[in-house]
Amino acid sequence: MAADPMAADPRLALLLAIADDELVIGHRHSEWTGWAPHLEEDLAFSSIAQDEMAHARLLYQLAEPVAGADADALALGRDSQEYRHAVICERPNRDWGYTLARQYLYDTADDVRLAALERSSWKELADAVRTIRLEERYHLEHARRWFDRLAGGPVEARQRFVEGIEAAVGEAMALFEAVPEEPALLESGVLPTSNEDLLGEWLARVGEELEAASLDYVLTEHAASREMVPTSSGEIEAGPTLSVPGIERRDGRWVHRGAFAGAGGRQGKHTEDFAQLWEEMTGLYRTMPGATW
Amino acid sequence: MVRTLEDRVRRALGEVVDPEIPACTIEDLGMIHRVAVSEAEVEVDLLPTFVGCPAKDVIGEDTEAAVRAVAGGRDVRVRFVLDPAWTTDRITERGRSRLREYGIAPHWERPSGATVVPLLRPGGVPCPYCGSTETVMESAWGPSPCRARHYCPSCRNPFEGFKSKEPTGA
Repeated sequence: MAADPMAADPRLALLLAIADDELVIGHRHSEWTGWAPHLEEDLAFSSIAQDEMAHARLLYQLAEPVAGADADALALGRDSQEYRHAVICERPNRDWGYTLARQYLYDTADDVRLAALERSSWKELADAVRTIRLEERYHLEHARRWFDRLAGGPVEARQRFVEGIEAAVGEAMALFEAVPEEPALLESGVLPTSNEDLLGEWLARVGEELEAASLDYVLTEHAASREMVPTSSGEIEAGPTLSVPGIERRDGRWVHRGAFAGAGGRQGKHTEDFAQLWEEMTGLYRTMPGATW
Repeated sequence: MVRTLEDRVRRALGEVVDPEIPACTIEDLGMIHRVAVSEAEVEVDLLPTFVGCPAKDVIGEDTEAAVRAVAGGRDVRVRFVLDPAWTTDRITERGRSRLREYGIAPHWERPSGATVVPLLRPGGVPCPYCGSTETVMESAWGPSPCRARHYCPSCRNPFEGFKSKEPTGA
């Protein structure tokens, strides 16, 4: 690829950010194949992974003429620091609670940004996004179903889900880290809404849904301090407080303020988790360039 | 002359089946968006059903081969396009009855407010075997991206249903 193809066309940065998110989280989802807690979920995560990778492929295909590289080369032929996904996507699955919390936070974020991009001035992107969104609806429903089930479930289920939210929510905000090319994208209408505004929309929605399950405290306090089984005297031990950087409550609404943790992914800054994932994901492509199935 | 060529092309397209659902042709599934015939070439625009459909590439190749066979040496171009977005209401009446015969419930109108949560409620997707509507969607995920899995307590058969993809208001 050219030294800095992004400088030439800001649309590439936007496409890669979303496509890389889908590819990398799809790869993580696929790791449940054969290992999920039960067969239904094995199938669910395998299918969601298949969808996400297909959506990534569609966006890479859209990027082909912009990047001057083919979709496979974009998906698998880049160095690890050239990937533009948010760090939350590369994190290992940890446990079932974290997996579902992340899927909920990610797919809600995906819905918020895709809804905006349906209005993109770039027609091919708007068309692709409309098609993708008709399928993403099922991912969102899967996430919501588990949200309700775990939040309303027995103590341990609820606790582990909330711990998952606690671990994921800070980094999930960085799904809305602006790409450096955002001003140009906003000006041309390719990106109709700024990431700052999309983040606000996402946080309001997530905050409201957490609040409906009496879980919004997780944005300011450690889950372990609140979800413990009450003692025989009915007391719950108070724990240390935590506040997720960049989140605060104002006039009864959860809002975003200023900088937030976990940023950097959109500029290619990733963690050791991605180094390992990249090795595995691109291994075949690097070993046998040009291989066909 | 040209008109009869278009007829031949359309007839050829009517023979191309979905390898994952061999009971249905791409015409039955409403995947043919546009056919354009000129002296020099034949163009066919197809709509993909689900983006991750593993049969998509095969359908593209089969379509191209079927058209080439009747195109009399003209250039043949088969493309997948995304405008309009494919939705389940594009499946034809014949497609719906062929799906049913094959054991896959065609898309149905979801009662408002219903979700994919597996709850037994009236107004479920009609069972392709006994017609009961008191069925349960067990999972939105089936053997392919376009199919969900259901269960019919009336005749005690598990069955598959075409996943609905409804037009959005926008």
